[in-house]
Amino acid sequence: MDSFIETFHIDWKIIIAQSINFVIVLFVLYFLLVKPLKKMMKDRTATITGGLNDAKVNAELLLKTKKEYDDVLANARIEANTIFQEGKKEALDQKRVMVENAGKEVEQMIASGKKVLESEKAKMIEEAKNEIVSLVVLATEKLLESHKDETFDKKSLEKIKNI
Amino acid sequence: MEGEIIHESTLYAEPIAHFGSFTVTNALFTSTIVVFIIVIIAIVVKLSIKKIPRGIQNLFEIIIEGAEDLCDQVTGDRKITNKAFPIVFAIFMFVILNNWIGILPLGGLGLVELTEHGRAWIPIIRSGTADINGTLPLAIMSVIGANIFGIISIGIWKTINKYINLNALGSIFTKVRKDPSILMTAPIMFAVGVLELVGEFAKVASLSFRLFGNVFAGEVLLASMGAILVYVLPTPFLLLEVLVGVIQAFIFAILTLVYYTISSMDHDEDHDAKHEHGDEEVKLSGAH
Repeated sequence: MDSFIETFHIDWKIIIAQSINFVIVLFVLYFLLVKPLKKMMKDRTATITGGLNDAKVNAELLLKTKKEYDDVLANARIEANTIFQEGKKEALDQKRVMVENAGKEVEQMIASGKKVLESEKAKMIEEAKNEIVSLVVLATEKLLESHKDETFDKKSLEKIKNI
Repeated sequence: MEGEIIHESTLYAEPIAHFGSFTVTNALFTSTIVVFIIVIIAIVVKLSIKKIPRGIQNLFEIIIEGAEDLCDQVTGDRKITNKAFPIVFAIFMFVILNNWIGILPLGGLGLVELTEHGRAWIPIIRSGTADINGTLPLAIMSVIGANIFGIISIGIWKTINKYINLNALGSIFTKVRKDPSILMTAPIMFAVGVLELVGEFAKVASLSFRLFGNVFAGEVLLASMGAILVYVLPTPFLLLEVLVGVIQAFIFAILTLVYYTISSMDHDEDHDAKHEHGDEEVKLSGAH
């Protein structure tokens, strides 16, 4: 052992000094280099993973929103079509009712017009008859005045009676 | 002959200064320079840490990430890697910088001292790992650290039992009726434990002398080549030594990690599991 120590000049003081040197290196590397760098790398990994997860969630949300938008749009189209069809049907019904009403009104108007026309005609015929009677009476009176004899009177009277 | 300055490569680090009874060797001086370099690098990195890495931060992030992945392949468990990594990384950095600074071609940077053989040139820079006083504390701390890690991981009783197998001795009294062969196996297991204890000292010796031998041999080789044909001949060997420096630092660090991993494993559990599995197989074969 002594020859070993002598050959290699083993000095416990230098061994302790070298140990202290290594311990300094160990602590310095751990606290100033390894630990902060590993923490930074861990944080960065967490940030990147978080970002990727957020992007994934956002993409899913976007997809979901797009689907909802499409659904809402499709429903709106269906609803609009339904409303349009209902409106169209209602308008057609209303049109039909209005046409029917108009037809009835026209018929009523024609009927009342006919009635008025008939009464006017009857009235005119009556008036014409009265006019004719008056004219006949007048003409007869004039004729009688111009032919004042007995025969004539009797014959004319008979004719007039036959009228 | 008086004017001639001699230089010879010595197995030990040469003293360059004295502070009372404390002698500063060139290896210790180099090792202290390494500490300063590492402190400066660590402070620069610490100050430049940003969320978006650039420059030196980027470099160290790549190194740390790659080193951790490599450690995972050895430990097979990220938890062990996380605990052992700071020590292994510190060993690697300390050893590699010592190895590289030791082979810097600094020419005549040294002191001339009067010795009994005449005037001798003493280089100021000598790798901290080219001195057994530099590698021995690293190896001791590595092995002791591994055992402390074992105590933390599997408990003090199991760690002690790896070396002084009291469980094996106790099993002679508890299992002798059921299994008389224990009278043979238990003393062997106890002796294996003692061998494990001797093995711990062997680990210290192998770690420290491997590193010291390789680095010292490299420095001697470079000096010899320089003596034969200066500048030209040492250059390829210088490049080789750069590679040797990396390899030796890597070996030291990985072996430390292996010791940490082994010490964190509970051999009794594995042994019991295998034993139970063997019993089941015997039962199954008997049933067939």
